[in-house]
Amino acid sequence: MYILRGFILSVFLATCAHAESITVAAAISLKEVMTDVAKEYKASGADDVELTFGSSGQLLSQIKNVAPIDLFISAARQQVTELKKAGLADEASERVVAGNRLVLIVPADVKDAPKSFEDLADARVKRVAVGEPKTVPAGQYAMQVLEAMRLTGALDGRIVHGSNVRQVLDYVIRGEVDAGIVYATDAASAGEKVKLVATADAKTHEPIEYPAIIVKASKKHDAAQKFLDFLTSEKAAQIFAGAGFTPAGAASSPTTAPAP
Amino acid sequence: MSDLWPPLWLSLRIATAATVLVALVAIPLAFVMARRAFTGKSILEALLTVPLVLPPTVVGYFIIVTLGARGWIGQWIHRLFDYSVMFRIEGAILAAAVVALPLLYMPAKAAFASVDRELQDIATLLGANRFQMFWHVSLPLARRGIASGLVLAFARALGEFGATVMVFGWQPRRLTLPISIYADYERGELGNAGLAVIALTAVSLGLILLYNRSLARAT
Repeated sequence: MYILRGFILSVFLATCAHAESITVAAAISLKEVMTDVAKEYKASGADDVELTFGSSGQLLSQIKNVAPIDLFISAARQQVTELKKAGLADEASERVVAGNRLVLIVPADVKDAPKSFEDLADARVKRVAVGEPKTVPAGQYAMQVLEAMRLTGALDGRIVHGSNVRQVLDYVIRGEVDAGIVYATDAASAGEKVKLVATADAKTHEPIEYPAIIVKASKKHDAAQKFLDFLTSEKAAQIFAGAGFTPAGAASSPTTAPAP
Repeated sequence: MSDLWPPLWLSLRIATAATVLVALVAIPLAFVMARRAFTGKSILEALLTVPLVLPPTVVGYFIIVTLGARGWIGQWIHRLFDYSVMFRIEGAILAAAVVALPLLYMPAKAAFASVDRELQDIATLLGANRFQMFWHVSLPLARRGIASGLVLAFARALGEFGATVMVFGWQPRRLTLPISIYADYERGELGNAGLAVIALTAVSLGLILLYNRSLARAT
């Protein structure tokens, strides 16, 4: 009985000790890097950061359905804009934390795999995986690239949607598709299991940026702001760069501005 | 509202094919299992019934690890024929069939078990071989139980989501009715799912009414 009571008490105390933890919903392409950033943040003596990942569209839906999330990091502006439009975001808090590039990958062990985006039009290419463009930013960017390169017609009926960018990656790893379009950092996270064959011309898609914004309903606004400050610090920038992300703001510089 | 007909048509085709596949597998197996004892029977019995309680995602997982392009068996098929069930209608049919199988197998077995053994013995005495006995005696006598099982299996196949979405994936303009509802949910456009929800509810209710009536007739 005493043991049980002691256990309950310690669980209770542990819960109290973690009361100052914030919940961050981040685009799934940030999975490893955000885990590292949160670890570093905690190691610096700051709060615990609970991370939840998904496609930016899924996370947006969750926040709209009042999920208890303090900070949202999307892989594209669109979802943050929608959150602002819905009046659910603290607009002044918005900051871009990193950027990325879009790449074409193929399964590592396939010999006559496509070698470029243009090769996707080849009849041998039976299936190409992209994120579902309405909810998955990587899919949204991928469709922009395919449209700019006039490949959507040729690929009609051959596209398979992933419900997030990591599912696209998984389809390629498992060899179920001939090619997939993911972020450079996703390709790197898969190591030898996939082969990167081409990087999309930044002129063919919107700049890939990760905007972070505090959710209006958050009860831990200050804690969220503190973490957001850390995300835009030099220390965090180093972690992002180490994981292959491009620096915040680089993507929207004039040289890489998208074609209208 | 999203267009109702293409996903409904796809779902009906998949469910019909899955029901045919289930019938071909479950009816002969039910016949044998109702009449014979052999070693390993209880294990086979459990295997045939377990999809009833397994989460369909587990069924989807097993299909992927066995028949996917990198699966135990699938890798050979993929190497030899450049084929995998993933994203194909055959994969969706297989997924729906596995999940629907117990719903035909169980009532069919019960129906075969309740067929008067003497009638079957007489058929054998009159010179019928095992197939003739099955076809002319057992099957007609078990038809009600089988028919109600077929209705239930079809209804389950029509509504299959978990295993199907893992194997068939999420393809543009190629969604089953249940997947189209989930796609609307994922996009935060659940309001668009209304027609699909009404269609699935109506068809399923109709099938259950049919099933209940077939049960009433069987007893």
